[in-house]
Amino acid sequence: MALRVENVARRFGETTVFEAVSVTIERGEILALIGPSGAGKSTLLRTLGLFERPEAGTVRVDQTDIWAATERERLTKRRSVGMVFQEPNLFGTTVRRNVEYGLRVRRSWRTRFRDLVPVIGNRTPPQPVVDALSLVGMEDAIETPVESLSGGEAQRVAFARAMAYDPTYLLFDEPTSDLDPRNTAVIEDAVITATRGEIGAVVATHDMHQAQRIADRVALLLDGEVVEIGPTEQLFSSPQDPRTQKFIDGELVY
Amino acid sequence: MRTQRRSVLRSIGAGMLALTAGCTQTALQTGSTGRKSTEPNTPTDGTIRIATTTSTYDSGIVDALSRAFTDNTGISVQAIAQGTGAALATGRAGDCDVVFVHAPSLEAAFVADGYGIDRCVPMMNDFVIVGPESDPADIGSQRSVSAAFSKIATSETEFISRGDNSGTHIKELELWEHAAIAPSGGWYLEAGQGMGNVLMMAAQRGAYTLTDRGTYLSMGANAPPSLLLSGPVEDGDRSLANPYGAMAVNPDRHEHVRYNFATQYLDFLMSEVGQTLIETYRVNDEPLFVPLADDETGYGSIDE
Amino acid sequence: MITALLSDGYIWSIIRVSLYVSLTAIALSAVLSLPIALIVGVTEFRGKRLLNAVITTGMGFPSVVVGLLVLFAVSNQGPLGPLNLVFTPEAMILSQIVLAAPVITGISLSAIDSVDGGIRDAAYAMGGTRLDVAVVTIKEAKYGIATGILAGFGRAISEVGSVLIVGGNIVSDGSSYTRTLTTAIQLEARQGQFETALVLGAVLLVLVLSVNAIVIRLGSGGGRSR
Repeated sequence: MALRVENVARRFGETTVFEAVSVTIERGEILALIGPSGAGKSTLLRTLGLFERPEAGTVRVDQTDIWAATERERLTKRRSVGMVFQEPNLFGTTVRRNVEYGLRVRRSWRTRFRDLVPVIGNRTPPQPVVDALSLVGMEDAIETPVESLSGGEAQRVAFARAMAYDPTYLLFDEPTSDLDPRNTAVIEDAVITATRGEIGAVVATHDMHQAQRIADRVALLLDGEVVEIGPTEQLFSSPQDPRTQKFIDGELVY
Repeated sequence: MRTQRRSVLRSIGAGMLALTAGCTQTALQTGSTGRKSTEPNTPTDGTIRIATTTSTYDSGIVDALSRAFTDNTGISVQAIAQGTGAALATGRAGDCDVVFVHAPSLEAAFVADGYGIDRCVPMMNDFVIVGPESDPADIGSQRSVSAAFSKIATSETEFISRGDNSGTHIKELELWEHAAIAPSGGWYLEAGQGMGNVLMMAAQRGAYTLTDRGTYLSMGANAPPSLLLSGPVEDGDRSLANPYGAMAVNPDRHEHVRYNFATQYLDFLMSEVGQTLIETYRVNDEPLFVPLADDETGYGSIDE
Repeated sequence: MITALLSDGYIWSIIRVSLYVSLTAIALSAVLSLPIALIVGVTEFRGKRLLNAVITTGMGFPSVVVGLLVLFAVSNQGPLGPLNLVFTPEAMILSQIVLAAPVITGISLSAIDSVDGGIRDAAYAMGGTRLDVAVVTIKEAKYGIATGILAGFGRAISEVGSVLIVGGNIVSDGSSYTRTLTTAIQLEARQGQFETALVLGAVLLVLVLSVNAIVIRLGSGGGRSR
């Protein structure tokens, strides 16, 4: 049971972003995706997140070939994958309604309509929402409008939003590059905690120290291919490919 | 003696009437109220739509006649006030049931083309020439329109024309033609507006203009132009007569028109009740219309 | 004089017709415009700029011309003749839809286009269907969309050209059938009854100003959530 891409290619018009990329993410592990800007990390994440269909290759979520499946199957499988972006991308409402969102869209329209009707007395927030917010220390802000949050707080809420509906796989596109060290630490700890609970995570990052801190494995995406992929310790101390060494040394950062 | 039976016969014989110069007079008994016709082809909604001119409507006579007609027959009246040309176009398109205007030459074409039938001439008012109190062209001393127009043209005093193919405009052009003058030059202005606006313009500019008496009276204190030459309502030049023609839209041309109701309306206009209303109608305590149901002198006739 | 006029049933019937025509037209226009604004707003396609230009032109379409075209259509001689719409309030609703829809579409489209693509991605990533993402987009753009709808209403309630031509300014049995505030004003002015015209004008102004006040409130309050 894994999230994998096999030999996928992504092209936009005349430009090829990458060809023949294969990556597997097992449940319970953290894979860091590193590489220079523009190498295609985001594109690869979007492919894993089932945003767009690859021009070639297969995408599998827990054995199911996603793009060969029916619309309905694809939706079901898609809903076991979540994503946190570099920007929080929160909806213009309260923290609670943001974090609830994943839960709400999975319910029928009739149930959702009923939820809109205000009930007399305090409507307690669903437990998954509280739990997800606790993971990032934001449970006290549950009824706050998102406009009042700082950048770091908003990103933490974005994390909670992706966790609330119990995903199997989580994708992170440079989640902490805009954050200060304290918020970065909160997010990193939350990612680790989540994966201990059998979630498979991919974290695209340009911060190699972050990769070393949290990842079990690291993949280097460079020049349109996965140049090297392996256990963190090994990739950083004794990389197999000379390009990897050059990248780590900072020579290939363009 | 024309009786009720005749109107009933006419209603039954819908669609086959020949053109007459004046409607047959029918006396609607004062006791026959609210009786809707039950003949076939009668629309079930008791409404009739009349296209008339803005000056007719603005005099208030249309609403007065409508109220009385509705009281008499129970049929509601929707009146649309447009320019004369537009009212006739509305009739041609079949968008109304009755056309009630005052432009005999245009009405003649309307009838000749088969769009209007049962034309009758229920009333007339007249046109008057108004202008600045000082009367620079001295038309107040004239007895005929031709003479007055002559003086205006010669002195090149400003004259404002409706310029919009309305009944008034058509009349004005006929009068110039009759006076054998082709008005042109900086003194002859074509406004392209309704009568009320043109009167205001004339007042502002100290110009002459031809107006129907009705609009002039209803402007009341707002109309500084003075009445300088009168028409037949005050025994003036007959050529200033402004006869009104009312006709039904021909159901042969437009099946859906409410010909039955239209007939009742036309009959009402020519009836004693209608004619009395017309005669006693006052605008600012001044008489405005002359009822013509009994007229023998051929006002508004369109026969060749 | 004002109180006398305002307690007049005739005046109220005019206000009623104005509101009936314009409110109905806006409601129907919104139903028409929002899906279009949504689809055009979120999609990138080759003719998009051209379509935008067309909509913007439509926003400024002269009301008299629209009135003329609708009259030709609904006249008994026109293609919609059998529907018997000419000189009815429903024909007026039709012409006001033609006038208001581009306004609502144009402004809503702009608001929807400005919704950050990241928000839509987030809704998708959280498991939303295309419909869910559309709902999120509309919610994010709701202040802009509301502004568009109110602007459309302002255009409709203030115009005189089209409702005069297709409606005929009719009063029947002492109560308005197709006479609106605007057509009544032009009638009273034409007849020289300036006081009445001004009172009607004041009523219309109050309506328009209230609508604008709401728009301004939305503009400053927009972005702040409940």
